[in-house]
Amino acid sequence: MSDLAIKVSEPIALRAQLNEDWLAVVIGLLVFALALASISGTDLLGWAVTTSVYTDVAHALTPFAKAYAWLSGGGALLATYAALLVVLSAGVVALGADVRKFAVAFTAVFAIAYGSWILGSYAYIAAVTPAEQQKFGIAWSLKLTNEGGFIVALLSGLIIANFFPRFADWLKDAIRPELYIKIAIVILGATVAVTAAARLNLASSLLLRGVAAIVEAYLIYWSVVYYISRKWFGFSREWSVPLASGISVCGVAAAIATGGAIRARPAVPILVSSLVVVFAVVEVLILPFLAQTFLWREPLVAGAWIGLAIKTDGAAVAGGGITESLIMAKAAAEGIKYQPGWIIATTTTVKIFIDIFIGIWAFILGYIWTNHIDKGPDKAKPSEIWQRFPKFILGFLLVFAVSLWLAVGSSPDIAKALPAAAGEANIFRVIFFILTFFSIGVLSDFRKLWQQGFGKLAAVYLVSLFGFVVWVGLLISWLFFSGFRPPLAS
Amino acid sequence: MSQPDLESEISAAVVEPLLPIEKKLIGWSLGLGIGLLIVLIVLNQLFPIKL
Repeated sequence: MSDLAIKVSEPIALRAQLNEDWLAVVIGLLVFALALASISGTDLLGWAVTTSVYTDVAHALTPFAKAYAWLSGGGALLATYAALLVVLSAGVVALGADVRKFAVAFTAVFAIAYGSWILGSYAYIAAVTPAEQQKFGIAWSLKLTNEGGFIVALLSGLIIANFFPRFADWLKDAIRPELYIKIAIVILGATVAVTAAARLNLASSLLLRGVAAIVEAYLIYWSVVYYISRKWFGFSREWSVPLASGISVCGVAAAIATGGAIRARPAVPILVSSLVVVFAVVEVLILPFLAQTFLWREPLVAGAWIGLAIKTDGAAVAGGGITESLIMAKAAAEGIKYQPGWIIATTTTVKIFIDIFIGIWAFILGYIWTNHIDKGPDKAKPSEIWQRFPKFILGFLLVFAVSLWLAVGSSPDIAKALPAAAGEANIFRVIFFILTFFSIGVLSDFRKLWQQGFGKLAAVYLVSLFGFVVWVGLLISWLFFSGFRPPLAS
Repeated sequence: MSQPDLESEISAAVVEPLLPIEKKLIGWSLGLGIGLLIVLIVLNQLFPIKL
C-alpha cells in the first residue's frame, strides 16, 4: 500500500469511496444500457473485442458481433481500449484525479492486463477436454480454461509489484481494483438475473442461504477473530476491530468502515487493508483449484465457499468466476454439462449479502465504542448506516431488477433477446475483472509481510483465515448447499 | 504511520484487558450467531432448495 494511501484521512477516504461507488454505478449502468439497445435491433457494443482459445495468435481476437467483422480483431481491441479510456478518463476527472497521468498509466495497464488475458487463452494453457486438445492439435495443456487468463493477469501484476516496484508506482494512477470490480459487479447483475430467470425457484432459495452468510460473517467470524486478535495476540481495540472486519466481513471496505466507526486513526485500517489484498491473492491462487479437485460434484457448495472464504469483493467474485470455469470444465470432462452462471451467481449472492450489512455493523460498533468505551461528544449516528452503505450494490440491484423484469415480465421477444444483450455487457464485465486481477497483483507487495511490524498482523490473519474462517465457511456452505446442483445445460 | 513506527507501536503496545462490554459483544455475537444458524439450518431442512 503506498505512503499516499497511508496519509489520507478517514473523512477523505470515505468521500473518495462514496464517489468511486457512484462512478461505478454510472459506468456500469452505461454499459448495461448500451447493451440493452441490441434488443431493439441496434447493436451499440458489438465492436467490443472477445478472445477465443487459440494456437495461432492471429485468430485469438474478434469483434463480438458478426456485423462488426470488418473491424478485425486488432481493430476491435483498439476500439475497446479507446472506449474504456474515454469513459474511465471522464470518470477519473469526476473523482478529481489527474486525467493525463491516468490516461498514460491506463494505456500500460490495459496493454499488460489484456495481453495477459490473451496469453491465458493460449491453447496449451486454456484447453481443457481431450476434444479441445484434439481440435487444437495439441497433446497436453494446463487445463486452466480461458479464464485462467485472470490468473495470468494476477501473476503479471505480482511480478511487477515484487520485482519492478518503481514501475508499479508509475502505474498507480490507473491501479484502481475497487473501482474496476464495482463496475464489474454492477454489470454482473444482468447475467445473474438472466441465470435466475431460468430457474426462479432455485434463485429464491439462494436468498435464504444469503441470510446464513450474513449471520456467519458478522456474528460468528467477527467475534472469534476479534477474540483471537485481542486475547491471543494482544492487539489493542483500535487494531483488532479493523483486523476482525477485514478478515471476517469484506476486506478493505469493512476494515475502513468499522475502523472509522470506532474513530481509529485512519492509517490503521489502511495498513490492515494492504494485508487483506495480499491474503486475497493467496486465496485466489489456491481455493478455486481446491474447489475444482474436491467440490466439483458440489458446485453450489464451491460457489458459496468462495464467497465466504475470500475477503475482498474483487477477489471473491472473480474467484467465483474462475471456480465456475474450472468446475464446469471438470464436470464436462465427466460428461456433465451444467448451465453456466450458477456458481458465480451463488458466490455473488453470498458476497453481496455480506456487503449490504457493512454499514449496519459499522454503526453497531460505533454506537458501542462511542457510548461505552471511548465516550465523547462524537457519538455514532444512524445516518452513518447510509453513509457507509456500499452504493455500488444499488447499481447491481437495479441492473438485476430491470433484467429480471425484462426476462420474466415483458414480451417473449424481449425475453428471448435479453441473454444476447446480457452477453454483450458481459464482455465488459470480463474486461473489468481482468483489470481488477491485474491491479490486485500490482498492489500485492509480499515483501511488506516480511517487514518488521507486519509479521504479527499477518500472523493474526493467517491463524484466523486458514485456521477458522476458511473451514467454517466450507462447513456452512456444505450444510446449506450440498446435494443441490445447477440445472443441466439444454 | 511509517514502517518503523508500526514496528515500534506494535512492540511497545500495552496490553489492554478485555472490557466487560467487549466480552458481552463477543459472547452475544457468538451466541446469537450460533443460535440463528441453527434456526436457519432447520429452515433449510424444512424448505430445501427447489430446482
